Amino acid sequence: MRFDWVNILATVIFVSIVVTLILAVASYFAYKVREARRPKTAAELRQEGQVKVFFNEYKPK
Amino acid sequence: MSANENAPNEAEPKPIGKRPLRPTTQLIISIAIIALVVMATFFLFRYPQRLGPIFITALVVTLASFLLLLVLRHFILIWFSYLHQRELACEDCEDVYPFVSIIVPAYNEAEVIHASISSLLELRYPYYEIIAVDDGSTDDTHARMREFEGNHYGVRVSVYRKENSGKADTLNYGIHRSKAPIVICMDSDSRLTPDALRYAIRHFRDPNVGAVAGNVKVINRHNIWTKLQALEYIEGLNIVRKAQAFWRSVNVIPGPIGIFRRMAIEGTGGYDSDTFAEDFDMTVKILADGWKIHYEPKAVAYTEAPEELLDIIKQRYRWSRGILQALRKQKHLLTRSSGNVTTPLSLWYMIFEGLVWPAMNIFSSLFFVWIALIYGMTKLLVMWWLLLTILDLLVAAHAILMEREDMGLAIYAVFYRIFYVLIIDVTKVFATLEELVGLDMSWGKLARKGRI
Repeated sequence: MRFDWVNILATVIFVSIVVTLILAVASYFAYKVREARRPKTAAELRQEGQVKVFFNEYKPK
Repeated sequence: MSANENAPNEAEPKPIGKRPLRPTTQLIISIAIIALVVMATFFLFRYPQRLGPIFITALVVTLASFLLLLVLRHFILIWFSYLHQRELACEDCEDVYPFVSIIVPAYNEAEVIHASISSLLELRYPYYEIIAVDDGSTDDTHARMREFEGNHYGVRVSVYRKENSGKADTLNYGIHRSKAPIVICMDSDSRLTPDALRYAIRHFRDPNVGAVAGNVKVINRHNIWTKLQALEYIEGLNIVRKAQAFWRSVNVIPGPIGIFRRMAIEGTGGYDSDTFAEDFDMTVKILADGWKIHYEPKAVAYTEAPEELLDIIKQRYRWSRGILQALRKQKHLLTRSSGNVTTPLSLWYMIFEGLVWPAMNIFSSLFFVWIALIYGMTKLLVMWWLLLTILDLLVAAHAILMEREDMGLAIYAVFYRIFYVLIIDVTKVFATLEELVGLDMSWGKLARKGRI
């Protein structure tokens, strides 16, 4: 049986590109979801005017 | 660009005033952008015949030009980086050493700050001081910094703590407290090699050199992601810097190791907090003032690269948007330069690399797959892949040999373009679209593994 290396290689390249592109878009989507679900930082809360103050820092005069 | 996310933190660079969108709204807009791009790509390749033969000819010509440009780009980079290397080989290390201040900004870096400052105390350089600034960390960073406070065989370590205000402001705070004519700005998760300073300083013999970019390498080469990034730093980033250094106009001084003439940094008014790429922003300002920027391959800083795909995407998303923000801010320099004539060229090159190149790369990958599918031209697909892979292998081998790096990394060049670069380019395209739409973004922070 004779292997057609060009076709085999082309199939591998084709599958790689398609899978990589799908992985890239899916990962980007996953990243956005993770960022949206991440707890907000103090600075973000400050920006939104929702700062939760548990105590005021004591600063000696 | 900085390889890490260290100091930046909770302090956001965006001007306060505009109310940020809710995360869910941002997510919906992002999904809409993703869907739009995927659909547009699908229709473009699904119904090309309807667009007429002119469209197809234009497509073929564009992509052939892209391939030609790619080959040309690689050869130009190799040629100029070789010239730069040859030039450096003729130079000796300076035997007069100016006093140097090393600024270490840190925000919640308790895992790595000890190793970072320890590496600085091992530098083979006679006159320097370390200024460590804690940017209001909420972990043990400050306590760990304090362990080093004082004199260490002639090297003074000063530790400061201030309210959280972001990396740019923290660097300015440190620079303001230094008196040295040469200032090194670094990241707290970086580790300098003992001779880094000695080699970098020699370039300041030229009074027109305002800054020197160091050589950043990945320290944590544990998995495929970090190995690909290690290769990217050697092949993709450093070779570009070497080629640009031949013209003394390096366009990004990396965050992990940037050596500045104090006069140059003061002339720019210091770091600005209004972009997510303060290192690129500073570089452009220095170039615009007419200073030359050099690159020293022996001034090595090891940095911890993100180990997971989502963290890499997060880092590159920030880099892409930060560069676009800085370019938008300095857009007047695209058409004129108050200093070097190479400055506008450098900026246009950044636009090309940041905007045009990623889109073209994705587009050409899809195009060749489409050609193979529709017309059964599998040979073309194989030839295209073979050409790019041979090109990448050659460039990788050249870059690795020049840096005396691990030759085993060269094998990753086989997956480099078809896999890694494609993922990064997709992130860049989405980041660009989101920046154009004007979505809010936050710096966030990468989880440190303490590998340095």
